[in-house]
Amino acid sequence: MSSIKIFIVDDELVMRKSLSGWLERDGYEVDTAESGEEAIEKLKKTRFDLLLVDIKMEGISGLDVLKHVRENDPDVAVVMITAYGSIATAIEAMKNGAYDYLLKPFDPEELGVLIEKIVEQQAQARENLFLKEQYKDRTRFESMIGQSKPMQDVFDLIRDVAPMESTVLITGETGSGKGLAAKAIHTNSPRSEGPFVLVNCGAIPEHLMESELFGHQKGAFTDAKETKKGRLELAHDGTLFLDEIGEISMRMQIDLLRVLEDHVFYRVGGTQPIEVDFRVVAATNRNLKKAIKNETFREDLYFRLNVIAFQMPPLRERKEDLPLLAEHFLRRFSQETNKPIDKISRRAIDEMMLYEWPGNVRELENAIERAVVVGKEREICPEDLPFWCSDDPTLVPQNALKDIEKAHIERILGNNQWNIAKSSKILGIDRTTLYSKIKRYDIIKSD
Amino acid sequence: LITLSEHSIVISPVGNVDSELFKPITMGIKRIFGCKTKVMPLLPDVSFALDPKREQHHSTPILKKLEEAAPVQAIKVIGITSVDLFIPILTYVYGEAQIGGATCIISTHRLAEGLFLSTDEDTYHERVAKEAVHELGHTFKLRHCKDNNCLMHYCRSIKDVDRKSQQLCRYCKTLLEDEMKRIADSG
Repeated sequence: MSSIKIFIVDDELVMRKSLSGWLERDGYEVDTAESGEEAIEKLKKTRFDLLLVDIKMEGISGLDVLKHVRENDPDVAVVMITAYGSIATAIEAMKNGAYDYLLKPFDPEELGVLIEKIVEQQAQARENLFLKEQYKDRTRFESMIGQSKPMQDVFDLIRDVAPMESTVLITGETGSGKGLAAKAIHTNSPRSEGPFVLVNCGAIPEHLMESELFGHQKGAFTDAKETKKGRLELAHDGTLFLDEIGEISMRMQIDLLRVLEDHVFYRVGGTQPIEVDFRVVAATNRNLKKAIKNETFREDLYFRLNVIAFQMPPLRERKEDLPLLAEHFLRRFSQETNKPIDKISRRAIDEMMLYEWPGNVRELENAIERAVVVGKEREICPEDLPFWCSDDPTLVPQNALKDIEKAHIERILGNNQWNIAKSSKILGIDRTTLYSKIKRYDIIKSD
Repeated sequence: LITLSEHSIVISPVGNVDSELFKPITMGIKRIFGCKTKVMPLLPDVSFALDPKREQHHSTPILKKLEEAAPVQAIKVIGITSVDLFIPILTYVYGEAQIGGATCIISTHRLAEGLFLSTDEDTYHERVAKEAVHELGHTFKLRHCKDNNCLMHYCRSIKDVDRKSQQLCRYCKTLLEDEMKRIADSG
């Protein structure tokens, strides 16, 4: 009961005081406003469960406050308070969406019963929403969200391939959710009780890769003070997820191919063969066929990995999922940061729909996180979005994608004084990728 | 409970009040708060709080006057009146208290509902004692309790008052002990 927040809007101090004192004894959290103007300002920053609003007030009237609430927060119950002479207005208010009205003065039990009824109905509505969300099975699959056709196809495919033992290769742009897809395959496979071990081939330096993958025996090299199990060994009975497989060195490709064929390997410095049983899921944002042509990726390894392959669709090709995803991230970050931001404005959604999202879902996730952190209102506005720039022609989607991406990277770098770590986080890509894009697009730091 | 025997809770009749009521109230206070009581009239007249249109007395100004008149050694003051009380937004109240405040007040006006005082005196006394302890409970920061047996349960009707017990539930008891300890520690 203590979490129920009630907002009293009345221009008479004595009414506000007596009602708030009464409700506080019932354990409700109460706030008050002495005018419609003050009420609307407070409503922009705080969410209440119930509003008790006097109809007759100077300036912005109770009916105007009701209208504001109905437009911005239709789930909030509004009860109008009125004197005998204004019953007609109270009835008009009911037609405009007020939950009920109370005639001043009202019986204490009448108020108590009404509040309990509202609280109960709101709890019921929340439960219904929760159940409905659970039924939205088709829009969610494990941690992935999407109601678009491309995502529905991905969900179906994962359901089909998960129970099999075959190696899976997931392709797709950076930030498009390849890691989540890999995890979903694992979770829905017979190996779900076993470990899910990630090897980020792009993040582990070449000289450490061998030891990371295969482990080492004590004394195998100067720093090998203890025997250490490698990730292949740790993945026994589970799934080994080789992320950014396109970044792996030619030397490691040879070693990896051998393990994938035999499921046997040796620790660095070890003499005993170690047998392992794991399923491999690999992912890359690179065009591996092109890499084979360029002789930077082994064809035999490619065939070994490419038993079942699918592509994660980029966000720009499934924009209908954007509001759903944005709302999901908003809920998560507002909860994490404990900020009462519970809505994304229509204008902000429009801006997001226009944007091309080169960093895909990860970029969206970062954009919402940033918006929640910097946001001052209860809803996210276009100004809170990192890419927002109202008259920036690069946001117009008819530009070539690479031009948009280049301009976007330039702007983010500029805004962050060329801090690579910060910029890559905002862009939703890792630092290596950012460096390669800076090189590819010939982006130069301007003074 | 922490003994606050050097201090007392003052029972203050406001206007014309049946002195027979002081005993059950005193016992109720002793049972729940473990405090001594002292009967002390502080407000000879409450006509200042009368609303002639409603023919009722506004409880909030009475509480304020009681607070001004309260002796310093009193830890809490409870006013008892036979006049009908109201707060502007509600048609009537059985009593009023501020959470954590120094004073509270109850009205006996509606507590005799459905009783023949000649034969049901005990029930009437019990109702008065329950409401007095309930309002005092608010001054010790207790809020309304969901448990309909608990003294701090908010009663919608006089039947609910009769139904609830003369004891606090274990949660309210703990909260009261915490508050009394806090008061004792702060001197």
